[in-house]
Amino acid sequence: MSTPVKRVIEYTFLILLASIFIFPMIWMIASSMKPEGDIYVDMGTIQSFFPSVNPSEWFQTYQDLFARFDVLKYVFNSVMYAVIVTAGSIVVNAMAGYAFAKFNFTGKKFLFGLLLSLLIVPMETLIITQFTVAHELGILNTRLAVVLPMLANMLFIYLFRNFFKAVPDEIIESVQLDGANYWTIFWKIILPMSKPAIATVGTLSFIASWNDYLWPLMVLTDTEKFPLQVAITNINSTPPVYTNQVMAILTLSTIPLIIVYIVAQKYLLQGLGGSGTGIK
Amino acid sequence: MKKFNSSMNLPAYLFLSPALVLMGLFLIIPALMAIYYAFTDYYLLTPDNKQFVGLANFIEIFNDPIFLESLKNIVLFVVCVIPIQIGAALGLALLINKNRKGNIFFKIAYFAPVVLSLVVISVLWLYLLNPSEGLINVLLEKVGIDPQPFLSSPKQALYTIVFVSAWQGAGYQMLIFLAGLQNIPGSVYEASKIDGANKWQNFIHITLPLLRPTTLLIMITTFIAAFKLIIQPMVMTQGGPMNSTMTPVYYIYQSGFSDRLIGYSSAMTVVFGVVIGLITIVQNKLSKGDD
Amino acid sequence: MKKLILLVFCMCLAVVVTACSNEQTSSENANEVSMWVHTSNETAEGKAMQSLIDQFNEENEDGYTAKIEFIPRSGSGGGYEDKINAALTTDSLPDVLTLDGPNTAAYAEAGMIAPIGDYISNKDDLLPSIIQQGTYNDQLYAVGYSESGVGIFYNKQMLEEAGIDLATLPTVEEPWNWNEFEDLSETLVKEYNQPAIDMGLKDQSEWLMYAFTPFLWSQGGNIVSEDGTKATGVFNDENSVKTMSFIQGLVEKGYTTKTPVEKGFQTGKYPMMMTGSWTIAEMNSSYPDIEYGVMPYPTSPETNELVSPSGSWQYAMSATTDKEEAAGALIDFLTTTEALTKISLENSVLPAATSVIEEIREEVSPQMQVLINQNAKSAHARPVLPQYPKVSRTFQETISDLTYFEENQDIQKLLDDKASQIDKALQ
Repeated sequence: MSTPVKRVIEYTFLILLASIFIFPMIWMIASSMKPEGDIYVDMGTIQSFFPSVNPSEWFQTYQDLFARFDVLKYVFNSVMYAVIVTAGSIVVNAMAGYAFAKFNFTGKKFLFGLLLSLLIVPMETLIITQFTVAHELGILNTRLAVVLPMLANMLFIYLFRNFFKAVPDEIIESVQLDGANYWTIFWKIILPMSKPAIATVGTLSFIASWNDYLWPLMVLTDTEKFPLQVAITNINSTPPVYTNQVMAILTLSTIPLIIVYIVAQKYLLQGLGGSGTGIK
Repeated sequence: MKKFNSSMNLPAYLFLSPALVLMGLFLIIPALMAIYYAFTDYYLLTPDNKQFVGLANFIEIFNDPIFLESLKNIVLFVVCVIPIQIGAALGLALLINKNRKGNIFFKIAYFAPVVLSLVVISVLWLYLLNPSEGLINVLLEKVGIDPQPFLSSPKQALYTIVFVSAWQGAGYQMLIFLAGLQNIPGSVYEASKIDGANKWQNFIHITLPLLRPTTLLIMITTFIAAFKLIIQPMVMTQGGPMNSTMTPVYYIYQSGFSDRLIGYSSAMTVVFGVVIGLITIVQNKLSKGDD
Repeated sequence: MKKLILLVFCMCLAVVVTACSNEQTSSENANEVSMWVHTSNETAEGKAMQSLIDQFNEENEDGYTAKIEFIPRSGSGGGYEDKINAALTTDSLPDVLTLDGPNTAAYAEAGMIAPIGDYISNKDDLLPSIIQQGTYNDQLYAVGYSESGVGIFYNKQMLEEAGIDLATLPTVEEPWNWNEFEDLSETLVKEYNQPAIDMGLKDQSEWLMYAFTPFLWSQGGNIVSEDGTKATGVFNDENSVKTMSFIQGLVEKGYTTKTPVEKGFQTGKYPMMMTGSWTIAEMNSSYPDIEYGVMPYPTSPETNELVSPSGSWQYAMSATTDKEEAAGALIDFLTTTEALTKISLENSVLPAATSVIEEIREEVSPQMQVLINQNAKSAHARPVLPQYPKVSRTFQETISDLTYFEENQDIQKLLDDKASQIDKALQ
């Protein structure tokens, strides 16, 4: 088989596969750009994946939405929470991962096993007791309360640990002889070598924070501090529910995640410099 | 602190401390409180009025047909979803771990369901899977297969959720696999190329063994996440039809927050935690543990 | 190393500082009442409430004021109710709160809310269903500020094309029974070769409890005994079996379906839909081309008694408040004819009081008028039971299970099972 033919087959396959994964997103965006009735009339036909035939209707939904809800305020809050959670989660979990990867300390095995076993706790069922803790700390109705519980995550610690283990001890020892302390080693040597792990943890933390709904609603009373998810639920549950407006707010809430992922995946690729398998 | 001879305890714990403090506050303490509640008759609306009831909650659990049914459902779900989802994730990661034009598009596409709201996903799949005029059945009919009830059948609903979950979640594991693949030095493959190995041999003898820590991580986390299934049945079937998609966490959530029986729901959390814990240990032993 | 210690120290400090600086922001002013509501200030309902509160703050003669906080709920009341429950564990409930009708009994039983009958001057004006829903152990604990209702919405054009004379359709004054409902469905199924009506059987949600209990009540049946202690002997009696057979028959004969197409009525696919007042607003804004009317609930042919669903969110006073007078004055203000009229008109919901019906009758659409009339004549509140959530869920499961007619031909056995499940919850 000649190379061009092979390539055509490869791309056809990849595109077919991609369309299986991507069509809900296209449907979502298309549905946000037409009157509500058309969404259901178009259902099941190819037209459901295209915006309204009348371009003047494309952004009508968004105008209605912005007139009803202060979307920008919510977007700002969400971005702020997500950025803080992402940065904090990378630092906190990487530090712990470093300790597990490169230190021998008393109780290491036990602690690692304990934290790993905590992964089995279904968080959905603990929200009331978590709230009690937040109340005891006196952080209710502060932005801190939204952020703090989302930082430490055993899955991310494990991910960092696996990465850091791959860093050869010789590198650490050589800089140690030059007089660098543990913090410098962690901050200047280990972290910069771990871009794939940082990109992975960062992306996943960002998504988790961005999509979190119930916890912010529990700990905040001040509407000014609510994140976007609260607005989405609000739009989605205040009858009458306009499906096109729901799709519009969901489209708006998906865009930042896609941007973050595009940025992060660039680093994923660059990760290990010239030594990777698919490097430019 | 420049040499290795001093104790590593202090720096190690300093590095761990932020994570430990936060997990202690928001995970360990709440979990311990839940264990304590499991032995009480804590009713959500009367928090000051908890009585110690010993093992009463636990005895009731084993006579609760819905909880037992939910355990059966979740085991079936996990057994089906794990190979499908992890296989798909690895396949996707291998496919896009390559330098080709437009690769970035495929990377975004395969990850798209992960970032999509479950509302969109469930509304869309509910429509696609509609027995009377959903797209899937229209296609099936074209190839001569009778329309299927999917989510509205007690026999098919769980498998439908398996499929939608794997479809939705595979991109997440793909990302972690991809990070693992990027971590394999290209020089290893070059060496084996010189030895004349083909792609398949490379995959079996180099990629898979080097991916082992990543695979193990994904196995454990997917496994645990699958056991904690709640959102998909909550949105798509409300646990029905006839409890065929009721899962333990969903039932725990219902008992605690709808029925307000925190004591009983905490006891189920404990039982459920012990069950997953035991299975995880066995699984770990079978895969000979890590390190 | 030093930097690391410094970093950890700073993080600890941050936690401690915020811990000290912020305490519960309950209002200092002894005359200011705090109030939580379950909606957002961006909805019509929230806006109406905000302007009522503003009015209260300006006009109250005793110098009482109120501060309202909006806590948007998710689909079925989650979010807001979780927050109430959490506030309960830390003793930080507001002075006045809103609650959904079915929660009255549980909240009153747990001592969360206080009786407010003495503060309400407009009590005699409220609809009986509003009083029924807010009363527990013979005391009024909560006042609904609007009503809701359900009817049979029909597509005029589709019915006419099937040869039906619209003038012969039932009205609230002259309702129809189950047999007539089945006859109409039969005609429509034959004409369009698909289900005649979307009854919302797709979801297993509160809707099934809310919309299907009136059939049982019309037949003379009930879910639990009068004293609320037992379901066996009630929920599995002859009346229940007859009602459930009727409902199952609708699915079995293909008149309705458990898997309706999304928005089938709105887009002119199904000729009828059983739905509530919220659909009127939706039809006006998104589906103006569909001409539709509203018919009342079908009644049991044995009793011919019209029963329709009702229920709404209500105002109540927290039992822990130390500002009873101020809180009582606020709730009294919010339940005057003027305030209730404002909420009904701005939020397009059914009125909660007789005087409000007179006020708004001329201003609402004919479809809305049908629901208002039906509501005033036949509204029936859902049972006021502390264990309501579990009872409701069991009822929902019963309806949902029924629609699987092949698996559940033995209705008596199904109802025996479900009745004993409810008994277990009632213990």
